[in-house]
Amino acid sequence: MVKFIQEQLKNAGDNISIDEAALLSHAMAGNAEAIERLILKYQQRIYNTILKMCGNADDAAELTQDTFVRVMQGLRGFKAHSSFYTWMFRIAVNLTLNFCKRNTKVNFQPLENEPDEQLKQQLKDFLIDKNSPNPPDVAAAGEMHNIVLKALEKLDADQRAVVVLRDIEQMNYAQIAETLDIEPGTVKSRIARGRKNLREILEAAVQ
Amino acid sequence: MKDMEQLEELLNGYIDGELDERKSNEVKRLIDHDKKIFDLYDSLKRYKDLMNSVSQTPCPDGLCDNINEQLERQILLADTNAYSHSAGRRHLIFRRLMTAAAMLALTAILSFVILDIFVPKSSRDKFFADTMRKKSLKETLYEKPFPDEDESAPQTVRQNIPITPVRGNDVPLVAVLTLEVDWLVAKALTTTGIFNQTTAIDRQPGSVKYVINCSNESAANLLAELSFLWPQCSDAKLDIGEEQAGKYITINDISAPQALEICKAEAYPVRIKMAGDIAAANRAAAENIEKFYAIDGIDYEQLYTQKPALASAEKSPDANLPTTGDRTAVITIIVVGK
Repeated sequence: MVKFIQEQLKNAGDNISIDEAALLSHAMAGNAEAIERLILKYQQRIYNTILKMCGNADDAAELTQDTFVRVMQGLRGFKAHSSFYTWMFRIAVNLTLNFCKRNTKVNFQPLENEPDEQLKQQLKDFLIDKNSPNPPDVAAAGEMHNIVLKALEKLDADQRAVVVLRDIEQMNYAQIAETLDIEPGTVKSRIARGRKNLREILEAAVQ
Repeated sequence: MKDMEQLEELLNGYIDGELDERKSNEVKRLIDHDKKIFDLYDSLKRYKDLMNSVSQTPCPDGLCDNINEQLERQILLADTNAYSHSAGRRHLIFRRLMTAAAMLALTAILSFVILDIFVPKSSRDKFFADTMRKKSLKETLYEKPFPDEDESAPQTVRQNIPITPVRGNDVPLVAVLTLEVDWLVAKALTTTGIFNQTTAIDRQPGSVKYVINCSNESAANLLAELSFLWPQCSDAKLDIGEEQAGKYITINDISAPQALEICKAEAYPVRIKMAGDIAAANRAAAENIEKFYAIDGIDYEQLYTQKPALASAEKSPDANLPTTGDRTAVITIIVVGK
């Protein structure tokens, strides 16, 4: 059985690496260790993508759990027409988008403390002044994370999805198109609009 | 504006490394030579860097264990068939349908109880009786008005003959068509035993026309039976029909007893003459009354004798009519409504 599944996954070509194919074939056969390895391999990325999209840690944890359950349930039906990675992310993103539509007002966790003036100034300098410190130094302040999350909250759900998948999950345009089941041209325009809107939101926030 | 959007798309593609070599070189050249484009590129890059710099949030503890637990539970449920989503959904739909049915039944019972409490039994019985009677009349009695006529002859001409008042506004509507009047006429027909001789009932909006083929004696009985209707009527007309369809002689200002007397006359020309004489006398009397009370400023209309809502249309003897029995008259009763 495992050999047959491995053959099938190998025939899928470039979509799946040999290691991942082996892991998947064992997971499909119900191997608990393989399932756990798959979960451990992807849980961090899935969780973070969902968190950036829905903005609430509890909801993100629950949605991540639901995503993996659905992935494991649908594993037998996975035909390897697309990569396992994008297939799994498609499930995660669809679940999250549906969740966001049900809860029209996305419940982003409130900021523990309002960003202080110093942080605002630091961010403003970075965004406008070319001699300001590099972003990792600024983001290391921690609160930057909250400011970006707040800005993401204000984006349209579809734009938020492409921005998160591109800038946080580092997917390329083709992968995003496959994950969201949209045209690459749509991805391009959504990314441009999303970033433009995000820029306006952040600029307004630091004024 | 559109150019700007396209430029931003290009710059974003360049930043993300999504452009082919030719386009990439072109954009690079633009950035190097145009200050504005360079500023836009720099700004976009900084935002992208900012987004990239957002730190990853660690997964909550035990997420993997929770997923495993949930998976095990699902597998266990699937194996034991203890729970099925589709069966659960079916059960839920069934319960909802049952609840809706129960609600409907409860509403019906409550409505009946409320009706029983607030609407008197007599009103209800009358309503149901009227409904049933109407239904039976509609089903059985609307037939051709003159059954003895040639089948091929057009029927509509005679059925739609207008009854035109001679004196215009001085002749008000014959009677108010109410359910009650209608019912009383039908009852009179039944009481006098000539309901079966009613050859047609023509129900139009605002009027009902009964065509009865009966003996003179039965006609007299019917008119007598309908005498209690007279107080409810404001005028009477007698239509004396003749053989040719569509030609009626209408004489107004005739009371019901006078109509009865006219119907009793055997010969058709005699009836016409009687009707004309009586009508002339009535009209003269009415005018005198009118003049008299006009002087005193009294509303003379209140003093008119109430007259029945009766009209009689008759055909002259026809060789095609059945000869059995003592049929000598065809009476048409018209109840006209507002």
